Amino acid sequence: MALAIRRSTSEVFGAAKWFIRRDCRALSTLPEKAVEVPVEKKRDRPVVSRIRANARNPNLALRHVYPEFLPDPNPKWRNSLREKLERTDMLNRRKQIDIPEFYVGSILAVTVADPHAQGKTNRFVGICIERKGAGLRAEFTLRNVVDHQGVEVRYDLYDPTVHSIQVLRLEKRLDDKLLYLRDALPEYSTFPFDMDPEILPDGTPVPVNPVQVKLKPRPWLERWERQELQGVSNIEEHLKEKDRVRRELRKEPWEKYDLMKQYRKTIPIEDQNDIWAEVNHQLKQLQLTRKKVSRKRTFGVPKTQLG
Amino acid sequence: MNQADVSKLVSKLRINVLPKHRNLNNPKGPEGRIDKLRKTVTGLIKFERIELNYNRADEARQYAERLISEAIRHGDCHKPTMDTANFWLLEKELIHKLFKVLVPRYEATNLSYTRLISAPQQQYGRHTDKAVLELRGNPFPDLMNYKTNNKLLIQNVLLDAAKQDYKQSKINEIANNIGKKGNSSLDKSSKNIEVPEKPTES
Repeated sequence: MALAIRRSTSEVFGAAKWFIRRDCRALSTLPEKAVEVPVEKKRDRPVVSRIRANARNPNLALRHVYPEFLPDPNPKWRNSLREKLERTDMLNRRKQIDIPEFYVGSILAVTVADPHAQGKTNRFVGICIERKGAGLRAEFTLRNVVDHQGVEVRYDLYDPTVHSIQVLRLEKRLDDKLLYLRDALPEYSTFPFDMDPEILPDGTPVPVNPVQVKLKPRPWLERWERQELQGVSNIEEHLKEKDRVRRELRKEPWEKYDLMKQYRKTIPIEDQNDIWAEVNHQLKQLQLTRKKVSRKRTFGVPKTQLG
Repeated sequence: MNQADVSKLVSKLRINVLPKHRNLNNPKGPEGRIDKLRKTVTGLIKFERIELNYNRADEARQYAERLISEAIRHGDCHKPTMDTANFWLLEKELIHKLFKVLVPRYEATNLSYTRLISAPQQQYGRHTDKAVLELRGNPFPDLMNYKTNNKLLIQNVLLDAAKQDYKQSKINEIANNIGKKGNSSLDKSSKNIEVPEKPTES
């Protein structure tokens, strides 16, 4: 049908053109060709937009898994050579230990060398409440409640004293930072040290945990009510009228349209493409070798652990 | 010691961007600054060439570039981009111009979408750096005449006309002379030319 319609319209158009041309020729002295040229040009014009082509690069998805491979966006601290050296160092470190994919809100177990501990190692389990820093200075903070006392440990991701990093539960939360757990009830940041790792089947997207925590009454460490947090349920209970008024006064609705503020916080697509092109191959190789090793382990002969 | 924000992707601008924004003196603070820049960006998209203070021009230029690059990347069927365009363009018919005129104009280009040219300062009064901010491919005559041998440049047109006039006057003079003095002067001159040839031949 579509073809038929298209053909018929083109015929009608052609006939009309012929008719008009015949009539007009009697009146005007314009040459016939002047009518046809612009139509042909429009068809041939190739629309090549580099911006769109660059944004389609599939490697860009790596930025969520390995955010520390992107340099600090502040141009005062940029140095292309140092960044490149850091990237090679990071890859070398990743060859030594398995640094798994994890996000803020995941529950991790980290074992570090500790000369004062029994057995010379120290293991800590907790929820990741913050990821910070770029390059070799990347760090993350784990939080747990031990003996009714909140404990936070900040680890460097590429610290050579780290023996192993294990993900016990891989998930995300509703917010980018979970610093409000410090003012939340202790049950929300209590995790047993003998937790078993939960294994997700391959290829499933990382689940988002929609849990909303309850805050303790004030005083708080920060003004949480001004931060538009998704993962807090009872924030309105603890506010006075004064706080609500000030929250309204402090709102910055234009901020999400501040295009240059966003630009200064991120690394542009073109720069990211260069970085991921440099790193992608080696990261893939590392993943493959890890998979092979883990398969070997699962099908290996079990050793007797008696005596 | 910050990690790059990975929640949003932006395409790289083809202009120099300062590490920090300029505050642009304003009693209303950051909101007033953004309002000022909205007016300027709207004016730039509307008139395609505007003259203003250098600092404000440079700030507005960055926002205009970002707006156009977002429009090119996402097109007009992307809700957040449409919202952004709606925020930045105070006159709503300019949203149509952005997506239907400017996006096709700049899709295939490798250059920046705007140009910033320093304008001469005021001779008297406050010394503020002035600038001309314009969209590339605007319909106005070019401000920078790099090619002085351009035939269509006004100075060259005038010079050509003057030359033509001079030649014409000379020809007229010669023609008048021919009419007045007759053949005698011409014969003399031809004889004079012929004379020196003879000794060279012999």
